[in-house]
Amino acid sequence: MEIFVQSVVSGVLTGSLYAMIAIGLTIVFGVMRIINLAHGEMVMLGMFGAYWSYTLWGIDPFVSILIWSPLMFLVGMAIHRFLLRDVIPKGELNTLLYTAGLSLFVANLALFFWTGDYRTLNLPYAQWPVRPFGIAVPIALAIAFCMAIAITTALYLLLSRTDIGRAIRATAQNSQSAALMGVNVKRIDTITFGVGTALAAAAGVLLVPSLYLYPTVGEILITKCFVIVVLGGLGSVPGAIAGAILLGLVESLGAVYVSVAYKDTIGFVLFLLVLLFRPSGLFGVGRS
Amino acid sequence: MKHILAAVGVLILFVAPLLTNNSFYQHLMIMVLFWTLLGASWNLLGGFAGQVSFGHATFLGIGAYTTMLFYLSLNMSPWLGMIAGGVLGALVALPIGLICFRLRGPYFSLATLAVAEIVRLVALNWDQLTAGPVGLLITTLPPLSLGGHAVNWESKIPFYYIAAALMLFATVLTYAVSRSRFGAYLTAIREDIDSAEAVGIDTVGVRVSALVLSAFVVGLAGGFYSVYFRYIDPDAVFAISLSVEMVFIAVVGGLATTAGPVVGALVLVSIAEVFRERFAAGHLIFYGLFMMLVIRYLPEGIWGRLRFLLGLTR
Repeated sequence: MEIFVQSVVSGVLTGSLYAMIAIGLTIVFGVMRIINLAHGEMVMLGMFGAYWSYTLWGIDPFVSILIWSPLMFLVGMAIHRFLLRDVIPKGELNTLLYTAGLSLFVANLALFFWTGDYRTLNLPYAQWPVRPFGIAVPIALAIAFCMAIAITTALYLLLSRTDIGRAIRATAQNSQSAALMGVNVKRIDTITFGVGTALAAAAGVLLVPSLYLYPTVGEILITKCFVIVVLGGLGSVPGAIAGAILLGLVESLGAVYVSVAYKDTIGFVLFLLVLLFRPSGLFGVGRS
Repeated sequence: MKHILAAVGVLILFVAPLLTNNSFYQHLMIMVLFWTLLGASWNLLGGFAGQVSFGHATFLGIGAYTTMLFYLSLNMSPWLGMIAGGVLGALVALPIGLICFRLRGPYFSLATLAVAEIVRLVALNWDQLTAGPVGLLITTLPPLSLGGHAVNWESKIPFYYIAAALMLFATVLTYAVSRSRFGAYLTAIREDIDSAEAVGIDTVGVRVSALVLSAFVVGLAGGFYSVYFRYIDPDAVFAISLSVEMVFIAVVGGLATTAGPVVGALVLVSIAEVFRERFAAGHLIFYGLFMMLVIRYLPEGIWGRLRFLLGLTR
């Protein structure tokens, strides 16, 4: 029983970080109808940013997130403005291939500069024993969880309460009508891409103390992300959150009760089952 | 013009390895043929039917492991094993296609990526069958004599001609498909799947057939890979990067063209060789860059543009 609760806790904690990555992917899809295969590389850049600012300058990742997410917001806007915007009208498959090229480019540039070594970032306080109710909580993951909730709430407020948020949601619903209502759709596209990128990078920063980092880590993260958004329905933010928590739970329970080696496989099998039986996502909000 | 070009191509194909004794250059030629084969088979599905698969390494790996395992445990000739690899690849493609083609466009691409990851992880963890990350090794190939002469498997030349035969097969197959009714169905599906469905094309059946055909050829290529390198492990033959490189060849050469994959493979192998010496994995940076540049400025691919400039389009 204790093991069960333990794995549920760690599943939910990890799931919350998956959720941030998946929300980034899903809002970009919702607004622009593109699947950004380079999204995992944005997480990777966030991870390396946090890693270097810790090793070189000693800035704690939970502080340096304040540097890296705004910076990656600008990077994301630049990527959309100068690289993606002219490619998107060429069709969704061309865009998909283009982002695949971008992903290959960024990941291997990182590999070239930072080598393929597996690195870890050990925070001094990560070893503190925190055992509420006899359940070991990894403290770095717990802090990351709280920050993920704060960021997601902030995003929710941005989307639901501000003018920019309304414009983003309007563009996602119907970009032509939004344009007719006076929304500057091009600008909204760029901002949304920046927000998606910033979310990915922020999740990367938060993941650093709990995960190995290496330049091609984006590959496995993006595949997990696809599993999540398909589980929850592509384009749906609540779906992405639910899918992410579900995947986190499936992975951690699977590692305990099925097999550690097949932990990742279980998620993919779940993915295929959903594709087969509920192609529009478990909650039926996405489009297939 | 077209026929002359094809004849010259075949002639070059037959004399090329005789021009040099340098086994490194012969190896490069074999690699060009091998990648042409992969690019052409990916193109059958990705180019003609517009179904972008990011999981073709699955079939390469299955072909390679089938050939290797049949040889190691059943002592089946690897040349038969290669064909068995193609057949098994095609058989595996059938359920994969039936599942993944419930989805369209980018969703299909994501599904193939997930399937490829599942297969890779299974190959990595199923120690009893695949020896896991240790990989499989063959030391000797069974002797074969042709016209009374024993074939020297230490030389690259025999491998070159096997690769050339496979590549010719794939190219002729592509040409045949492009001229057939089946090819027209594929193009119709690529251009507008709903209209294709509306005029009575069985879009799922046609796409599944294209995937099966493509997987058969990739499976053959996988068999060739295992015999040529004599060593395979899951990360060598099931890697996602392999699938992406196949996509690269078809896109850079020219989607839905017969000769495009040759051009794409030439570009890919040259980039790889120029940069592999300088820094490891450096060539992948340029693959990424090249793919972005081509899609942005030359979406029809190098051969696609050249063909137009030479007035070879029908």
